[in-house]
Amino acid sequence: MTKYVKYVDVTKCDGCRACMVACKNWNDLPAEPTEFLGSVQSHVKTTADTWNVLQYIEHENGKGDLEYLFRHSSCFHCTDAACEKVCPENAISYTKYGSVVIDQDKCVGCGYCVQNCPFEVISLKEYKDKNGKEYRKAHKCTMCTDRIDEGLQPACVTTCHTGAMEFGNREVMIQKAEKRVKEIQGRYPNAMVYNPEGVGGTHTVYVLAEKPSVYGLPENPKVPTSAVAWKDYAQPIGKMMLGATTMALVGAFVTNKLFNKEGKGLDENGGGSDE
Amino acid sequence: MVEMNLNRRQFLKLSGATAATLAVVELGFNEKKAYAKSKEFKIAKATVTPTICCYCGVGCGILVHTKNNTVVYTEGDPDNPINEGKLCSKGTTLRQLYTSEKRLTKPLYRAPGSSKWEVKDWDWMLDTIAKRTKDTRDSSFVDVENGITVNKTERIASLGGAALDNEETYLLAKLMRGLGVTYLEHQARI
Repeated sequence: MTKYVKYVDVTKCDGCRACMVACKNWNDLPAEPTEFLGSVQSHVKTTADTWNVLQYIEHENGKGDLEYLFRHSSCFHCTDAACEKVCPENAISYTKYGSVVIDQDKCVGCGYCVQNCPFEVISLKEYKDKNGKEYRKAHKCTMCTDRIDEGLQPACVTTCHTGAMEFGNREVMIQKAEKRVKEIQGRYPNAMVYNPEGVGGTHTVYVLAEKPSVYGLPENPKVPTSAVAWKDYAQPIGKMMLGATTMALVGAFVTNKLFNKEGKGLDENGGGSDE
Repeated sequence: MVEMNLNRRQFLKLSGATAATLAVVELGFNEKKAYAKSKEFKIAKATVTPTICCYCGVGCGILVHTKNNTVVYTEGDPDNPINEGKLCSKGTTLRQLYTSEKRLTKPLYRAPGSSKWEVKDWDWMLDTIAKRTKDTRDSSFVDVENGITVNKTERIASLGGAALDNEETYLLAKLMRGLGVTYLEHQARI
């Protein structure tokens, strides 16, 4: 299956925030009024009801000039996703397109994914059921997997009028990103493709104008070792042990039964033994 | 010792039930069906109507998806040559023009000097607008000014909106010129 990538060229972004609104519009997410943050940025970071946030960064470049940098920030859809690794309920999974999605039916709101996401894009939302009991669910960008299923592009990409975002085949998008970096290096000497290897590459690939740290991104994000140990070793062993225990119990029960039956003789229905 | 008096049939039943229970538990069957999986594709079976964005003078095309008597989604019209499916953040909110609870659904009237709004019906509203327009125009009409025939009124001004199309602006201009209005303006003079 073709893997898809959302390509974000931050140097083409004009900060109009249509991607933020388009996301809310498609996913029916409620507005989250915020206080003035001291800049044009509306929200500090992504939340359970705001799956993408446009960052506005005032950065002094090497020449002492002010650069006004924008970045559409949302889930990276990692190839090796820490959230998927730590989820104890297997509620987080990869789709055939490469996006990472949360199954709301399976999510129990434990928050491990929130703690382990290297990019801090997952958040919990609190709900109340009809008995007033509180429960929580984790939410984040789905890369509009429901739209991709129907042959449409993600809502944020569809609305972007500067062409800062594009959606397509992974290889094509990465080539495009590498080409674009060469074009802009004259103005932005630190420009780079952000597709970090530590998480196996991502399905949101950025052309950044500055070093990742300028955008508050980790230079080399990694899936926590404990997460790998949990998902790839502890959980399968645990499952195996559970299976073995069950088998042992059933076995013991059956043996016990046979043993008892033998002692008492067969009843009219035939019993369980032909020994 | 409590003796378990199971025969073969009962035993099979019991193990069957155990297996079924295990299967259900293992599959993550969730009683919290509040988050029901009934989520079908949002714009499936929706009626799609093309429209023009009402906010600025660019005139972007928008597709309005309606279902069950409400607007479920709006998106830039990819076939429109003006915006080719793209929209700005304001145009993207167009759906709220219909769905917002802050939207006015009845004509409101504030009498001169009054501090509160009253709900009026459309007939009263249109009749009153027509009557007062005529009164103002008749009482302020100038036929001749400095020996030149002008046929104008300077007490009325018209402000058009960006959402008006060619035909509407033609009709509006014709009506206003007919009344003698000289202050004919447009909101989208960017």
